[in-house]
Amino acid sequence: MSPGAPRPAPGDGAGAAATVPDSRLGEAELRAASRRGTAALSGREVRRVTKLWTQTILPPVVTAVLFMAVFGGALGGELRQVSGIQYLWFILPGLLVTTVSGQAFANASTSLYQARNEGYIDDVLSSPLRSAEVVLSYMVGGLYRGWITAGIVAACALPFVEGVENWLLAIVVLMLTGIIFSALGVITGIWADSFDQQAFIAALIITPLALLGGVFYSVETLSEPWRTLTMFDPIYYLVDAERAGITGLHESAVWLSVLVAAVVAVVVTLWAVRMFRTGRRLRP
Amino acid sequence: MGYVSASRRRSPPCPCPDPGTLPAVHALEITDLTKVYDDGTEALADLSLVVPDGGFHGLLGPNGSGKSTLIGIVTGLVRGPAGHVRVFGHDAVADPRRARTLVGLAPQEVHLDRFLTAREVLSYHGRYFGMQKADAEARADELLAAFDLEGKAGTRPHRLSGGMRRRLLIARALVHRPRLAILDEPTAGVDLELRQDLWKYLSRLRDEQRTSILLTTHYLEEAEALCDRISMIQGGRIVAEGTVPELIDRFGGPRLEDAYLRVMRGAAAGVGS
Repeated sequence: MSPGAPRPAPGDGAGAAATVPDSRLGEAELRAASRRGTAALSGREVRRVTKLWTQTILPPVVTAVLFMAVFGGALGGELRQVSGIQYLWFILPGLLVTTVSGQAFANASTSLYQARNEGYIDDVLSSPLRSAEVVLSYMVGGLYRGWITAGIVAACALPFVEGVENWLLAIVVLMLTGIIFSALGVITGIWADSFDQQAFIAALIITPLALLGGVFYSVETLSEPWRTLTMFDPIYYLVDAERAGITGLHESAVWLSVLVAAVVAVVVTLWAVRMFRTGRRLRP
Repeated sequence: MGYVSASRRRSPPCPCPDPGTLPAVHALEITDLTKVYDDGTEALADLSLVVPDGGFHGLLGPNGSGKSTLIGIVTGLVRGPAGHVRVFGHDAVADPRRARTLVGLAPQEVHLDRFLTAREVLSYHGRYFGMQKADAEARADELLAAFDLEGKAGTRPHRLSGGMRRRLLIARALVHRPRLAILDEPTAGVDLELRQDLWKYLSRLRDEQRTSILLTTHYLEEAEALCDRISMIQGGRIVAEGTVPELIDRFGGPRLEDAYLRVMRGAAAGVGS
């Protein structure tokens, strides 16, 4: 046999396949297989983030730390306080929300679009994994990237601020932010027909909404029409709720913001699953 | 590098059903399958096809005849067909999870995950199909050895030669020990020596493990050498079917190639058989 030649077929052996397979494959067995498959695809997504850390984790951390250094440190001396609190403390919640939203979105949309564009999504599409399990796995990659990045940013900033007023609220808001934007990333990854379309959503919708969501200023200080426009920015409510969690300061009804964010998280996740299942862009 | 015994028994690591004692069902049974794409192209028209359990079935036809659409429907890569597709009795459209568990696909185009090594391509595939991590990794090593890719286990697919990528693709289709292997032009672009080695491998796969195989190819000598039955497809319809001697006897010519050309020219002229 020549080099490169396949050798005798390994596997179950002839005896194992002498009869027709039993068609009564158990539901419990299928569920266990699904769990293993979902864990594997989620692990693959996490692994991709970790492997590409110089592209996925380092840049957003550097960007957020620079924002804190410039606005909280260099200019913070001039600004000193906003709404009665230290400026660095004031902007930290918004930076965490924008970091989680941007990274969760970017990871889910890029990874899925790349798999589609290069064709290796077929390996997943032809597997027994259900649409919801595949979507969940891609979201896990986005959540991992968003949260790990925000965690590093928070670790860099917390020694320089007064602390966290309500850990639970702060964590819940970042979790919801991650879920919403990773699901939106999946939707974009399915919808986009080119890298340009995918980049368009990130650069011209997600980033402006994040930066105009009251990260660097109190909406109470704005004049019209900016004040009203900000109120229409959905990210503003996430930033405000996160600010309530970290500093105790907020401008809108926090629990209403959290409730609406939770509903939005469920809706966009279901939307992503539906898009994946109907699969017009995934399956011709 | 030692050979892996083909007769060695292993406990099934994937949720593939244990062999049972139910009455025989076909590996693949397609009835009145029609697929019209969104742009109005009718890719398949009332197509019916049976691959018996343990059969080695060839699907021959020109480019654009509907072969890949048919394979895509069976494997879940093409949506919304009309008609029935059953894999070992499981409805591949209504109950795709059970059906897909039993199918291994080596697609025509070589698309391999660029973030994974060759070993990981295999082991992750097995895990997507429900295998335990340790089993999937052991199976990956087994197949890397079988396809002489052991030395490339840690190499990413884009660093492999074309022939190696093709072998990796076929190995991937077999990781979860499918009962039906669908090989879409597996020897396209492969040198003659490797092609003949792959033929031997596929024959052994069918003979020793009784894996049913559906093969598409443009190499008619390949179909002639490997397949017990052949279906010829054109315009989304099966235009001829039979064993090689039957087809030669029915359509004439000393070789399958002659019969194929006559069938295709006849079908193109609207004289289906």
